[in-house]
Amino acid sequence: MSIVSETRGQAPSLSIVLAAPLRLVMGALNAPMSFVQRRFGLGGMGAVFLAPNMLIFGVFVLIPVAINLAYSFTGGMAIFFGERHVVGFEQYRTLFACGDYTQPATCREDAFWQSIHNTIFFVLVQVTVLVLAALGTALVLNREMRSRGFWRAVFFFPVLLSPVVVGLIWKWILQRDGLLNAVLVDYGFDRTLWLAERNWAMFWAIFVSVWAHLGFYALILLAGLQAIPRDLYEAAMMDGTGRLRTFWRITLPLLWPNLLVVITLALIRAVQIFDEAYVLTGGGPGTSTLFITQYIYETGFAHVLRNLGLASAASILMGVVLVGLTLLQLMASNRRNREGNR
Amino acid sequence: MSHLALRQVTKQFGSVKVLHGVDLDVRDGEFVVFVGPSGCGKSTLLRIIAGLEDASSGEIHLDDRQVNDVSAADRGLAMVFQSYALYPHMSVRQNLAFGLENSRMPKTEIEARVMEAARMLLIEPLLNRKPGQLSGGQRQRVAIGRAIVRRPGIFLLDEPLSNLDAELRVVMRAELAALHKRLAATMIYVTHDQTEAMTLADRIVVLRDGRVEQVGTPLELYNKPANRFVAGFIGSPRMNFIDASIARTERGSGLDIGGKHHAAWGLDLPHGSPVTLGVRPHEVDITEVEAGAMALEITLVEQLGAETVLHAKTTLGGAFTLTSPGQGRFLVGDRIGVALPPDLHIFDSEGQAVSRR
Repeated sequence: MSIVSETRGQAPSLSIVLAAPLRLVMGALNAPMSFVQRRFGLGGMGAVFLAPNMLIFGVFVLIPVAINLAYSFTGGMAIFFGERHVVGFEQYRTLFACGDYTQPATCREDAFWQSIHNTIFFVLVQVTVLVLAALGTALVLNREMRSRGFWRAVFFFPVLLSPVVVGLIWKWILQRDGLLNAVLVDYGFDRTLWLAERNWAMFWAIFVSVWAHLGFYALILLAGLQAIPRDLYEAAMMDGTGRLRTFWRITLPLLWPNLLVVITLALIRAVQIFDEAYVLTGGGPGTSTLFITQYIYETGFAHVLRNLGLASAASILMGVVLVGLTLLQLMASNRRNREGNR
Repeated sequence: MSHLALRQVTKQFGSVKVLHGVDLDVRDGEFVVFVGPSGCGKSTLLRIIAGLEDASSGEIHLDDRQVNDVSAADRGLAMVFQSYALYPHMSVRQNLAFGLENSRMPKTEIEARVMEAARMLLIEPLLNRKPGQLSGGQRQRVAIGRAIVRRPGIFLLDEPLSNLDAELRVVMRAELAALHKRLAATMIYVTHDQTEAMTLADRIVVLRDGRVEQVGTPLELYNKPANRFVAGFIGSPRMNFIDASIARTERGSGLDIGGKHHAAWGLDLPHGSPVTLGVRPHEVDITEVEAGAMALEITLVEQLGAETVLHAKTTLGGAFTLTSPGQGRFLVGDRIGVALPPDLHIFDSEGQAVSRR
């Protein structure tokens, strides 16, 4: 297709030269392709073309999930499946053995429950703050303002950083002899152990992840805002609609599909929080910023008593939650498509 | 009902001047149409009246009150947008009521006004539908309804029919005219379609490049166009223009059209001045080639039934359109002559109409 369209209006000789190797390859593929087609039939060709991708998806996603599930029913420290013994639902029982789920200390796997508490707190606060901040940023960036492109870039820039880099940058700022304390001391304040005090550590874990992801969600919301026709605002203006009412009655309903996508995506990603927080606080102080993914990683790989079975069971539970959230997101985007098509 | 006065209104976007000092008075209950080609500033002028744009200079008076600094909401006007601008997530009823709810009007009053407008526009059965479930014509009615319920001083309509198909456009045009009579409202209507302007307007304002070219009733503009632009813009098929020059002979003043003399009275211009003659397609009579003031060769014949439109080229190479009543037997390639009417439109080299003594 593209070769044909590029031929138009240009020197044909160049495109013929460029297309020559492609023609050669396509010509060489002719015979094997017609063989495959004879073998599988025209209807089977779809499956043939999908096969490579499904193979990769299967090897790196589906099979590991199945292995993971199988491991969650085994115990012991052995790595290879054959050397492990089957324990049935024992790992799940261990995870759920608890006097009072609201008190992690009363649970057998107190770290697991502490990480769940931390993750729930993190998800609720981080998603709320993130979505509101992204919405606010998008609303501001949507205005006619000078050097709008520059500001968009500023907010989007952290998204381009690897999470580990984000964690390292902020660690460098927040650690005991970091940038922030240096500035504070210069101005006569006392040093604060930003990453070694429980509440501050959680605060910064939330702050940093909001900072890192804000631009991405703001961009989605900005696209949604720009898709709202200007005429509607002008009509509202002629109708004497106040700014707040315009926001509630026009902007918000029309932005809602985008907002729903943003909320569910942010939820899914917040549940998975790991890299930035791990680099920044390492879960500390104590277990005050230990999140579920870190718990799984440490239980299965970092701890001297590698408990792969327990880690697998925990990750299966987390997977169930994520599948639930993903279904929510699919439902949201399906509804959006249906409304868009009407 | 309100009246409107514009005094030397200009508008500049950056370094681009789109309106150059517009003066205009719109009377109570008048239907005024702004017409002109794309980019002539007609929509900008309407938006300035609406309060959606600020004028760069000049004054806007509504009912003798200067409103330059009054917000769009407080001017008491209603606008019908080209795109209809209906709120897609609200039902028709909510769309109609939305503006009234802003003014904290009692619910019963809102409901009464919505129903009245819905009855007037025959959209009662649609009140619970969303705009996405309506046809183009129905959306158009809702958009007009949204203006009606507000009982505005002036209705501002920005190319309201341009998104409809040709047939529906004619129907809605007639309905708009009827609505104007019924509401006895002041309406300002923007279009690029001269037929809409001719059929709807009490007065037409012809704009070009941000300047008012002429203001007048449809027939004034048709019969006495102030310049070549208005003459060409108003009337369909378009007026023909022929290059000629003033010829003063012993027989009196006249015109030299491609070497042929044509009598014309009362022209004050000196001998040899170049002029442009304007002839409407139906004003010429078809004659034998030799007898006519001009000879034409037919290039296209359009049979409309009641009349025949002939497209031709002159011996000088220009295009010429003429209509002949009935179903004339003409063929492409036929050579005909045309006799010009005695009262030609004559424009000087600047394009301004030449007055006759």
